[in-house]
Amino acid sequence: MKVPMSWLREYVRVGASAEEIADLLSVATAEVNGIERRGPSDTALFRVGVVLTADKHPNADRLQLCTVDVGEKQPAQIVCGAWNFGAGATVAVALPGATLPNGITLERRELRGQMSEGMILAEDEVGLGTDHEGIMVLADGTKPGTPLTEVLPLVEEILDVEPTGNRPDLFSVYGIAREVAAIFDGELVPLSEAKPPQAAEEQLDIRIDDFEGCPRYVGRLFRDVTIAPSPLWLQARLRDAGMRAISNVVDVTNYVMLAVGNPLHAFDYDTLEGGRIVVRRAKKKEQLRTLDGAMRELQPSDLVIADAKRSIALAAIMGGEETEVSERTTNVLLEAANFEPIGILRSSERLALRTEGSNRWEKGVDPYLAGPASTLATQLLVQLTGARWTGAADVHGDLPARRTIRLRPERTNEVLGLDVPAERQGAILARFGFDADGDGFRVPTWRARDVTREIDLVEEVARFELSEIPFTLPEKDVSFGSLTREQKLRRVVEDALVGCGYSEAYTPSFPVTADTVALRQAIVPSLIEAARLNASVDNSGIALFEVARVYLAEERRHVAGVVQGGIADARWAVDQIYAALKLEPSYAQATEPYLHPGKAARTAEGWVGELHPNELEGTWGAFELDLDALTASAPEALRAVDVSPFPEVRQDLAFVVDDEVPAAALAEAIVEAGGPEVRDVAVFDEYRGEQIGAGKRSVAFRVAFGSHERTLTDEDAAAIRSRIVAVLHDRYGAELRA
Amino acid sequence: MDTQALQQDALDAIASATVLADLDEARVKYLGRKSELKLALREVRDRETGMALNAAREAIESAVAARQAELERAELDAKLSSERVDVTLPAELLGDVHPRPRGHLHPTTLIRRDVEDAFIGLGYEIRDDREVETLEYNFDKLAFPEWHPARSPRDTYFLDANRVLRTETSASQIHAMEERKPPIYMVSIGRVYRRDAITPTRFPIFHQFEGLAVDRHITMADLKGTLLHVMRALFGEERRVRFRTHYFPFTEPSMEPDVSCGVCGGEGCATCKWSGWIEIGGSGMVDPQVLANVGLDPDEWSGFAFGLGLERAAQLRYDIPIIRPFWENDLRFLRQF
Repeated sequence: MKVPMSWLREYVRVGASAEEIADLLSVATAEVNGIERRGPSDTALFRVGVVLTADKHPNADRLQLCTVDVGEKQPAQIVCGAWNFGAGATVAVALPGATLPNGITLERRELRGQMSEGMILAEDEVGLGTDHEGIMVLADGTKPGTPLTEVLPLVEEILDVEPTGNRPDLFSVYGIAREVAAIFDGELVPLSEAKPPQAAEEQLDIRIDDFEGCPRYVGRLFRDVTIAPSPLWLQARLRDAGMRAISNVVDVTNYVMLAVGNPLHAFDYDTLEGGRIVVRRAKKKEQLRTLDGAMRELQPSDLVIADAKRSIALAAIMGGEETEVSERTTNVLLEAANFEPIGILRSSERLALRTEGSNRWEKGVDPYLAGPASTLATQLLVQLTGARWTGAADVHGDLPARRTIRLRPERTNEVLGLDVPAERQGAILARFGFDADGDGFRVPTWRARDVTREIDLVEEVARFELSEIPFTLPEKDVSFGSLTREQKLRRVVEDALVGCGYSEAYTPSFPVTADTVALRQAIVPSLIEAARLNASVDNSGIALFEVARVYLAEERRHVAGVVQGGIADARWAVDQIYAALKLEPSYAQATEPYLHPGKAARTAEGWVGELHPNELEGTWGAFELDLDALTASAPEALRAVDVSPFPEVRQDLAFVVDDEVPAAALAEAIVEAGGPEVRDVAVFDEYRGEQIGAGKRSVAFRVAFGSHERTLTDEDAAAIRSRIVAVLHDRYGAELRA
Repeated sequence: MDTQALQQDALDAIASATVLADLDEARVKYLGRKSELKLALREVRDRETGMALNAAREAIESAVAARQAELERAELDAKLSSERVDVTLPAELLGDVHPRPRGHLHPTTLIRRDVEDAFIGLGYEIRDDREVETLEYNFDKLAFPEWHPARSPRDTYFLDANRVLRTETSASQIHAMEERKPPIYMVSIGRVYRRDAITPTRFPIFHQFEGLAVDRHITMADLKGTLLHVMRALFGEERRVRFRTHYFPFTEPSMEPDVSCGVCGGEGCATCKWSGWIEIGGSGMVDPQVLANVGLDPDEWSGFAFGLGLERAAQLRYDIPIIRPFWENDLRFLRQF
């Protein structure tokens, strides 16, 4: 909501500057995003001038040479390119030294051999409009030399206020003025209730078929309207508030909407069949061409304004093209209605049609506002269009009564954590328009939608006292302050991977550019994308991991990685993850969708291997593990075991076996066969060669034997070793190499 | 010529090709320069026949392409299978394990950990709840009014009529209060989703942390003090915090906290748009309706809640003007942390 300060000050008398108002509104009412300034920064050299003489420039056919009384002893001679004025006209003049809003500073200078001492201004030159057809001709009777700011809205400060969705009352200048008056304890100027004389008592045929959708419809008829551009001050206000000026009648409807927050609509009365207005739901298949030119397919849920024959406007959203006010319009029916918000929101969403009007209606407009809005519009229409006001109707059902809400002042203080005396609470509420009523307060009609409970009254006091509320911490007698096991182990895994040289990535849970949401079931594909990006910019040593949720039958946390190098690098990282969690991984040959078919392994919690060459150019390793499963398997408690005082015996054993026999199976058999004295088994070599024979390989283990009771003898070791050799031979046909 | 029969023959031949050579033979037979189809196409005089023939040609071509990809993948996989290694061997026997300098945690994680630590220090538990939520938990129980724009598919990712990707971590409030009677002191951290155009400063996914305290006699002063503590833990002891009134469906009164600008110290600069303050999130007192929705008596229990963005906090902490690098994962960015 753009709020021109001059307009705001019409409604509220406060001494505060725009900055002060912006600061306090931001805290107590709605955020002010900024203050925009329009017009010349220094207005001293902008004056009212009266043209004394205006003749053709002696050396140029298209220029006029004028003398203009600008309030100095000597008139100024000014060369001008416009011809829409002559001697005697009152005009706007910028004198040499003045800087126009476009940054150009005027100088005395010769134009075709004649000195020009300033400029007679067109509206676009001072940012008051876009018109450059001619200069601005001002109303006669102003003394030459009068500062231009006194007769034209030459400069403006505009607040950019961003009201929250629960405060429809703030989508108007008057609504903001009300808040400013309350916050600064300034005087709020009441809206004028003066009705211009009604010239006739014509009957208006207005009917509401659906009071739920339209609780109120105020209609006003105006005859002998002269359609023309609005005066400059009105155009300037509309523009400053972010709207376009169109013509006086339309501009008045928009002006009143901006001023008080009730959107209005004007119909060309002569285009209404039977001169009738009916508010009803649309009929099936009914169509309406809205004034943006689009043909709209209506549904029975849409509220429309109709005449005797057809729908003529999409209620609260947009008028129809056939009944719109045009240059030929002479009789106008003004609509100041009230519409129910949710239905309007649904229709506007379905039709993807949002307007300044629908934006207000969908938040809920005070039904009592239709009165003052129609009064203000009537004053302006009569004043600006020369119209006669000849008919009035106000059709409505029961308007909601003002609700009284009980307030316990001590409750306010409990919520705030600040002692605000009951009288002060009452005073604050009174300033916001809440009248004391017994042990409660009557809610003003413009707040009826968002203030319905005691806590809402508490908020009114709270927002006024926000900066007074102290900073404390809850007094509590419980503490939950520790990470859960899952959270601790997540950090352990993250840190282990960082230690392995992996950097952490965050990738999207689904392809965000696609139309539909396809939640991912694995992280590796998006890490591949991230790796590809890194490769494309020649980053080296790429190693990325991510911990995130995947979306299977239930959500699971996964940890995944992609690494430049190959299976060995990925395996190393997975080994470290397991080791960090005090787990022993067991790997098994596997095939996995993203992996090289000969270099893929599964563990109980996931998979690891070399990326399939189709996935990404080059040699890469990848892994993806179910972190929830990992943390569930991690031991909860560790128990220390004494280090044996007796030295271990270490032996290297190499076995020749068929290629297909996994090293892990051999290691397992060694432990099993060797018994409790086997302390450690590790593969340290794999060898293929002619001596071994085709389809076979040699796998070499370093085995450590030991006991807690004594030092093992060579005989003990030999016995264990022969058990091992026998079992491996029986089970896998393994031959011990000499 | 029976175009349909021809097309069927071709598709059968393509499907039954088990090696690339067979497929190529089928391709030449049905699509080659001298194939029946190509010859017929050359003779075409009327539009209808031409369209039928072209449709058949396109169907056969795409079948060839699809089958070719399949066979190539199969041939590649057969070749790759012959490179099989014993994956049960230790990593260093599977290939070179490249030594790497230490990696880097993502800035979002660094902030997450600081948030966790700050709240653990205050005696709060940390929650990590589901991201796919029902309308009941994401909106209804949080007292979102019917008109609230977040309820629209324009703003929110709907998975079906009843499930959405959560739009804020606030659903955790409901889970926490349903699981246990107060006192509750918790902070929920995780991903949230809002439909948004992707620009340098916006991404439809981000991370939030959302705190909740429900106990007897919780006040707005407690909320202010708690947020001040956390802001200082995250951004430095010299920071100040102010509150502006706001609106959120699930809190009343609602406020937006601002933290004093760290670049100018509150004097006003480009970073804080000359206000001296930086918007940092949302907060408020738990709405009595929300308490009632989980069966708590609002006269007995009160609470506060607040939510802030992790990326937003990381942006302020590390002076990162745009969001894009958070999701791009360029190591030149990540390696700075």
